[in-house]
Amino acid sequence: MISQVFILSSQGDHLIYKDCILMHYSQENSLDLYLKLVGITILLSVQCPQRNKNLNFIHVRHSGLYWVVSTKDNPSPFTIIEFLNRLAALTKDYCGSLSEKSVRMNFALIYELLDEMVDYGYIQTTSTDILKNFIQTEAVTSKPFSLFDLSNVGLFGAETQQSKVAPSAAASRPIVASHGEQVRKNEIFVDVVERLSVVIGSNGVLMKADVEGEIRVKCYLPTCSEMRIGLNEEFSIGKSQLRGYGAAVRVDECSFHQAVKLDEFDTYRILKVCPSQGEQTLMQYQLSDELPCAPPFRLFPTVEKDYGSRLLIFLKLRCDLPPKRYLTFVGISQTVARALLLFSLSQELSSPEQSAELQPRSKAVLWTIPRFPGGAQLSAVFKVEVPRLSSASLLEVGPISMSFELPKYTCTGLQVRFLRLSPTQPGLSQRWVRYVTHSDSYTIRI
Amino acid sequence: ETNKLYCTSVKCCIFELKAELNSDKKEKKKEAVKKVIASMTVGKDVSALFPDVVNCMQTDNLELKKLVYLYLMNYAKSQPDMAIMAVNTFVKDCEDPNPLIRALAVRTMGCIRVDKITEYLCEPLRKCLKDEDPYVRKTAAVCVAKLHDINAQLVEDQGFLDTLKDLISDSNPMVVANAVAALSEISESHPNCNLLDLNPQSINKLLTALNECTEWGQIFILDCLANYTPRDDRESQSICERVTPRLSHANSAVVLSAVKVLMKFMEMLPKDLDYYGTLLKKLAPPLVTLLSAEPELQYVALRNINLIVQKRPEILKHEMKVFFVKYNDPIYVKLEKLDIMIRLASQANIAQVLAELKEYATEVDVDFVRKAVRAIGRCAIKVEQSAERCVSTLLDLIQTKVNYVVQEAIVVIKDIFRKYPNKYESVIATLCENLDSLDEPEARAAMIWIVGEYAERIDNADELLESFLEGFHDESTQVTTQQNTQVLHKHTQNTPDSDNPDLRDRGYIYWRLLSTDPVAAKEVVLAEKPLISEETDLIEPTLLEELICHIGSLASVYHKPPNAFVEGSRGVQHKRLPARTASGESAESPDAGQSVGGVSDAPPAVIPSQGDLLGDLLNLDLAPPSASVPVVPASMQMGVDLLGGGLDSLIAVGLAGGTGGMPAGLGGTPAMGGGLGDLFDLGGGVGMATGSYVPPKAVWLPAMKAKGLEISGTFARRGGGIHMDLSLTNNAMSIMTDFAIQFNRNSFGLAPAGPLQVLTPLAQNQTIDVSLPLNTNGPIMKMEPLNNLQVAVKNNIDVFYFSCQYPISLLFVEDGKMDRQVFLATWKDIPSENETQYQIKDFHLNSDAASTKLQGSNVFTVAKRTVDAQDLLYQSIKLTNGIWALAELRIQSITPNYMTRLRTRASLSLSASLWVQFAMLYDCGFLEGLDHFVVFP
Repeated sequence: MISQVFILSSQGDHLIYKDCILMHYSQENSLDLYLKLVGITILLSVQCPQRNKNLNFIHVRHSGLYWVVSTKDNPSPFTIIEFLNRLAALTKDYCGSLSEKSVRMNFALIYELLDEMVDYGYIQTTSTDILKNFIQTEAVTSKPFSLFDLSNVGLFGAETQQSKVAPSAAASRPIVASHGEQVRKNEIFVDVVERLSVVIGSNGVLMKADVEGEIRVKCYLPTCSEMRIGLNEEFSIGKSQLRGYGAAVRVDECSFHQAVKLDEFDTYRILKVCPSQGEQTLMQYQLSDELPCAPPFRLFPTVEKDYGSRLLIFLKLRCDLPPKRYLTFVGISQTVARALLLFSLSQELSSPEQSAELQPRSKAVLWTIPRFPGGAQLSAVFKVEVPRLSSASLLEVGPISMSFELPKYTCTGLQVRFLRLSPTQPGLSQRWVRYVTHSDSYTIRI
Repeated sequence: ETNKLYCTSVKCCIFELKAELNSDKKEKKKEAVKKVIASMTVGKDVSALFPDVVNCMQTDNLELKKLVYLYLMNYAKSQPDMAIMAVNTFVKDCEDPNPLIRALAVRTMGCIRVDKITEYLCEPLRKCLKDEDPYVRKTAAVCVAKLHDINAQLVEDQGFLDTLKDLISDSNPMVVANAVAALSEISESHPNCNLLDLNPQSINKLLTALNECTEWGQIFILDCLANYTPRDDRESQSICERVTPRLSHANSAVVLSAVKVLMKFMEMLPKDLDYYGTLLKKLAPPLVTLLSAEPELQYVALRNINLIVQKRPEILKHEMKVFFVKYNDPIYVKLEKLDIMIRLASQANIAQVLAELKEYATEVDVDFVRKAVRAIGRCAIKVEQSAERCVSTLLDLIQTKVNYVVQEAIVVIKDIFRKYPNKYESVIATLCENLDSLDEPEARAAMIWIVGEYAERIDNADELLESFLEGFHDESTQVTTQQNTQVLHKHTQNTPDSDNPDLRDRGYIYWRLLSTDPVAAKEVVLAEKPLISEETDLIEPTLLEELICHIGSLASVYHKPPNAFVEGSRGVQHKRLPARTASGESAESPDAGQSVGGVSDAPPAVIPSQGDLLGDLLNLDLAPPSASVPVVPASMQMGVDLLGGGLDSLIAVGLAGGTGGMPAGLGGTPAMGGGLGDLFDLGGGVGMATGSYVPPKAVWLPAMKAKGLEISGTFARRGGGIHMDLSLTNNAMSIMTDFAIQFNRNSFGLAPAGPLQVLTPLAQNQTIDVSLPLNTNGPIMKMEPLNNLQVAVKNNIDVFYFSCQYPISLLFVEDGKMDRQVFLATWKDIPSENETQYQIKDFHLNSDAASTKLQGSNVFTVAKRTVDAQDLLYQSIKLTNGIWALAELRIQSITPNYMTRLRTRASLSLSASLWVQFAMLYDCGFLEGLDHFVVFP
């Protein structure tokens, strides 16, 4: 099973090192040597497991830190990756936020966590409910939690600016309140996050559209006997099932956290769970091919060979969302030519807050639109100087890929109807429900 | 302030820390221990503080205690004497009223790998295993595994294993999970002691615990279940039914462990069962779900799916779309997806796949683009209906003129030409336009192949080939070999003057070939090529079966069996899928699941990977088609020739030539035999029973032909060396002296390793026995028959010439036992055109006796299996020149007939001329990378 656990800074320094089965490999011998060999940045680009000197290394990356496990025998890499993800999540839950600094400050706490999580390489538990019985060390936070941090969070359901979508500061504090803290905030956050991947063919036909979604809960309630989350009643799973007469909210496949009780799910679409403190993913779902709505973007590209060695790219982009919605951080990149070494770009954009630049490494033009309201239409003309432009070069103009964030919107139409806690929590208990759709891979072929 | 824990200077730290550790204030102590551990983390040596830290151990502050224990675990081994100081506290803590402290103590003690401590550990451990608190019990269960690793004997003597087995029935699922994990770990190092004792009752208990455990415990239990072999299909089905709900678990490790159990137990279900179909359907969604995870997880999932798709393609055949590459996938995920796409490609989805692949070929990443282009070629070869569309797609890509795309496209078009000869030659013109841009050896080689192959359809083929010849000296071997072949192909005579000996020799062979026998040359170079066969890069079936048993583990990601990368004894046990057993006839034998060696269905033939192109093409050029199956009856007067010269056709031809071509007086003697059959040596009178086969001495040179000198002799392989045993008889009237011996060039380079040692003069009517050691370093020339040896013996009277034939087994070397895996891979790798079959009749040895006998002559049995009352022996032979020959010997216990199938890389066939065979032998040796590569005169 697990032989060693490391948490490394982005420079490759050991922040945490635990030798689970006491192999007494000197540290020099294993990971450092491996990293010296390949360089820390290689971890960004290689697949795991990696093998070096009879040890297998498996790593994941969270918040700029590398979470690495080494192992001697033949364990399940799935187990280890899941474990590392949990470790990162728990570290975040316990330390409040995840950064090199917070890990350094809380190393004793993290060692204690690790001791309870892994014994002799066997994973024991990753549940906060169990762990909180054992953990003695208090978290050290860089600055004490203040009520002002909450100020940028709007009320439940109210329309506010984009900051509400990004994880707010309120959700990044340790789950276990330190003794110094006077007011214990009883809050619960429910996030519905969807990732959209779309491929639109060169003829404008939607070739592929997939949605991967999840319902995440971050719970600060010290005790909560039961939480009931009501989803859309029309929610259906699988192709055959159709419910009600309204607009069906359909997914292909659904999986649940094992703590979720599903006895009311079939009839009322209610998820019942006793949330543990910290962050959990209650439900994951996928939908492929049949989106209930049109994809949020239409793009009409034209690529022409201008006179001389100039490539003319005309992009017209339309947002098909209802006018109340908007997209944030839209980035559009297009590979222009592979062979080119030197080229220059001139551009005509429709508003000054947009920007466009050439990215020499990916040989692409990146067009950035900070905010894109629904129903709007934007256009841009790029003129690219490509030496030795031939008609074949037109074939090299690659697909357009877009990345964006779409707050308060789910592609599947999944909504949380209600969020009830029982018994009703005494005193302050705040409930937040947030929705967001990210682009996972949104590609338009030329 | 806390950031200062990471102090930079070691020395100052130690002094300061020492003072702080001995402080009276609890808080200060705690901070000091924290600093010590912080230094430990960054790799500083703080072992000098051991006594001071141990002093902090006796405290009622749990947080401080935990920190001290953490320190102890790290340094106890380097400070064993000091560690003893801590033992009393450990033992005391194991009795503490607080279960957290009891568990902490037993957990830490187990981690301290100091022999002296283990003695003190036993009593506390025994108590903790029966503790009332499940947290202590589960910690103690793991501690048994720790102790076992330090001192296995102690654990057995103390009866901890039995206690551990009892814990499997514990009321707390966490305890059960840890007990299962500990027992699995211990039993892995003792494969024979059947610790887990899996039976229907215990399996039932485990399945019940499965529903209550934490996700991590479920993994231990599922992995343990996977080692169980159900008695029959009914039990198998009921376990599958209870495991299936795990497939929708959110933890991918649980899902994969469940998939492993199902994939294994499915093997036992009859395929016509409704439930079998249901199960297949249930397996797809969880696998698809894995692909929406983060890239790290996606990659390991894809590697596993790659195995599953090879084993049971039907599971994911409708899921092609999920394997389409996303623009922002990391490259390693893209490449894996591409591989799976090709495996799933079928007539139904090929249009969709091709459209995708064409898009991929316009991406930025060069590796990915290349692989995408290759994938198009693989689709063409796999799905015949799509070939035309693939070719036109490739032509489109060539039009882009992107250098590496063009080169890659030409390489795959060559493969398509091989698979579908004379079908798509209309595209050659387009290919020829791109000659100039080819700068990679593989692409150049492919282009030369195409030009040569379709020479008569290309007007200026000579010019094109000549243009390649200009750069002859700079070319890599691959290209030049190809050039040689193809230049010859055009009958453009050339005498290459290259520095590469392999190549030069190859050139010489062809040159000589052309000068001596143009007809034979044509036969060699223009021999019909075997068609390129089905796709591709398939994992060898036995390995695949083993890997399926390791789904979800590292082995399934590396696609290597665990013993290939795990050190020590662990994982050495090969796992096998269970054989199907109907419920009526339950298998009692524990190894029922292991007897099936592999080749259950005829495995799909495999085209050599691209790296092997060279060898492949060489064989192509030379391989004559067709294999015939002569029935060779046991030749009774030869007594022993049971395999009927059946090593392979090469030898068979040699033999036939030999016996036919010999003068009547000499022919037909056993010495002229030399087939594998001789080795069985049924006559029993001659040769050693267990050693190498030695034919009886035969008269090679009659006295009347040699002025009174009679030479009889034989050949023997002794102690790894080859010997020619001669008897010289003087029938003349005068004394004979000054003996010397020389061999003519021969097929295998046999040459005397020393002078002929006839020290005393040979008197009248005297006979002397001499043993002449031989080596195989001599000059080489193809002989007719192959095993013919021309010898010149000189004495004071004259020089005499005679020829004799050596048994081919003389050339079988001692290290001819091929690794099992290699054997299976090679067997499949050799095209079936290279196979010859013989039937041997009236043979009365059982397989074991045959195997022993053959082994005496360095014919090694690599594997044996029994199918339908037939024993199949898989055997390997290595010749002195490095050629391997692989044989399958099929022995029927009912009829006394043997069937042999023999394969060598060199394509051997009765119909081809010996010249061809020799050229092939020659190429083979060259391909095998011989040390003593033979130089043609």
